[in-house]
Amino acid sequence: MIRVENLVKRYGRTVGVDGISFHVKKGEILGFLGPNGAGKSTTMRILTCFMPADSGNATVAGHDVFRESLDVRRNVGYLPENAPLYPDMRVDEYLAYRAKLKGLRGRAVRRGLSNVIDKCGIGEARHRIAGQLSKGYRQRVALAEALLGSPKVLILDEPTIGLDPNQVRKVRELIKELGGEYTILLSTHILPEIEALCGRVIIINNGRIAALDTPAGLTSRMHGATAVMAEIKGDAPAVTEGLRRVKGVGDVTLEREDSFNLFRVTSRGNTDVREGIFNAAVSKGWAMRELRLEIVSLEDIFVHITTNEAAPEPGEDAR
Amino acid sequence: MRNVLTMFGRELRSYFYSPIAYIVLTVFTLINGYTFWLIVAALNNPRFPVEGSPMQFFFGGTIFFYLTLSLIASVVTMRLLAEEKKSGTIEVLMTAPVRDTEVIAAKYLSALAFYAILWLPTLAYVAILKTQSSPDLGPVASGYLGSLLLGAMFLSIGAFASTLTKNQIVSAVFTFIVLTMIWTVGFLDGIFEDPAWKALISYVNVFRHFDNFGKGIVDTRALVYYLSTALFFLFLAVKVIDSRKWR
Repeated sequence: MIRVENLVKRYGRTVGVDGISFHVKKGEILGFLGPNGAGKSTTMRILTCFMPADSGNATVAGHDVFRESLDVRRNVGYLPENAPLYPDMRVDEYLAYRAKLKGLRGRAVRRGLSNVIDKCGIGEARHRIAGQLSKGYRQRVALAEALLGSPKVLILDEPTIGLDPNQVRKVRELIKELGGEYTILLSTHILPEIEALCGRVIIINNGRIAALDTPAGLTSRMHGATAVMAEIKGDAPAVTEGLRRVKGVGDVTLEREDSFNLFRVTSRGNTDVREGIFNAAVSKGWAMRELRLEIVSLEDIFVHITTNEAAPEPGEDAR
Repeated sequence: MRNVLTMFGRELRSYFYSPIAYIVLTVFTLINGYTFWLIVAALNNPRFPVEGSPMQFFFGGTIFFYLTLSLIASVVTMRLLAEEKKSGTIEVLMTAPVRDTEVIAAKYLSALAFYAILWLPTLAYVAILKTQSSPDLGPVASGYLGSLLLGAMFLSIGAFASTLTKNQIVSAVFTFIVLTMIWTVGFLDGIFEDPAWKALISYVNVFRHFDNFGKGIVDTRALVYYLSTALFFLFLAVKVIDSRKWR
């Protein structure tokens, strides 16, 4: 549905997007992740025909972004960053206006309107003036606008920004529901959102693609395996040696020496070594007070990739 | 064409959503009323040396006419694109399936329609004159036509200026300066001796083109002058909007 090849966009001397290539399949939700100024919005603006790329190709719904701009725009629903609305128009008036620009006529306008108003939960605000809406409502009105006319592709630039937690959940549910029916490209810097919504993630940094994978794929690629933290009382070298002999264990490092020593145990492959460690502790009579699995979160990967740090310290098992 | 109508409707309505419309309408009506009163008073003065009908002087006969039109054209057009750029709605507008020419056409026509609405209260002067005398309606009609054409040209320059900036004030000031330069060229008529310069100034001279309309003559040369200038600036406006897509 979306095919991007070697897209380059410069602003004067600074590079906005530097040779990006990817594609999005029909019905897929692709997440665009990156720090501010990484090139997310620029890519989206190119795909919606708002600005051209300096070089490279892009097609959306089978139409060339540069040569068949009108055809592309007919097939794309776009929610720009900051959800700009005409401040002097009423919500339903604005949506009706946009529906007409998107080619809906007569009864289809009213049907389309009530459909998107319903989906986005903005019924209470439909007669209010856009300029007086809260950020959450503005965001949802702009999202409703993007859905008008049932475009094949949705391009959403930070769709949940400015919403309260309840609204965030609702909008995420809505987006998840829309996936499958629509092809969605969304950008965000909220990591749980990506993990909750997207089939695949692109991490973009300094205008280049730093990683492209499924959220799970990224996690496992990052660390190869999970790590187990174990606090065990006893002679450190002996325990280390004992732990190494447990089946599936890759490497054991002593993280902290105390009355209870803290060991970090990595496994080979995707095996869970906790049971083996427990059995070893029981048979050798080691006192153990903690055994916990550490999972590298997308956040760690993100931080690792977008800052040029060395190997990341996996955080708590909290997603 | 449907897109143009849709956008035209929104643009025209949005004039009346903002206080600007009412301020402009009030100021325009006040200045016109003052001018009209001045003309009638002067013509009633037996020592006033010129013969003519009030409406002939009203349309292009005083400096107020050109000054007011320049001011009005600047203010009426300043928001057309500058406002969209400032608020970011330009991004929503230009990613809708509409052509650049349709956007400029709709916005320009809405400004022109609003400008035409501004003239409506002056029809009262014609009615007032009719109660006191029997004015010749031909020159009055051509006077209105001329005002509309001159306005069409002035507004196109304003629309062009509005594509250049996201600041409405900058757009208005720029338009006012350019328009003032254009209509004051007529004052230079006596300065140049060189025939080539004289011809050029005479061609650009807004006064000369407008004079005939007040007298009831619709001159095709003037028509071509106003409309071609308007089209030229609208063409430039479309190119400016289009230029963000150049690579």
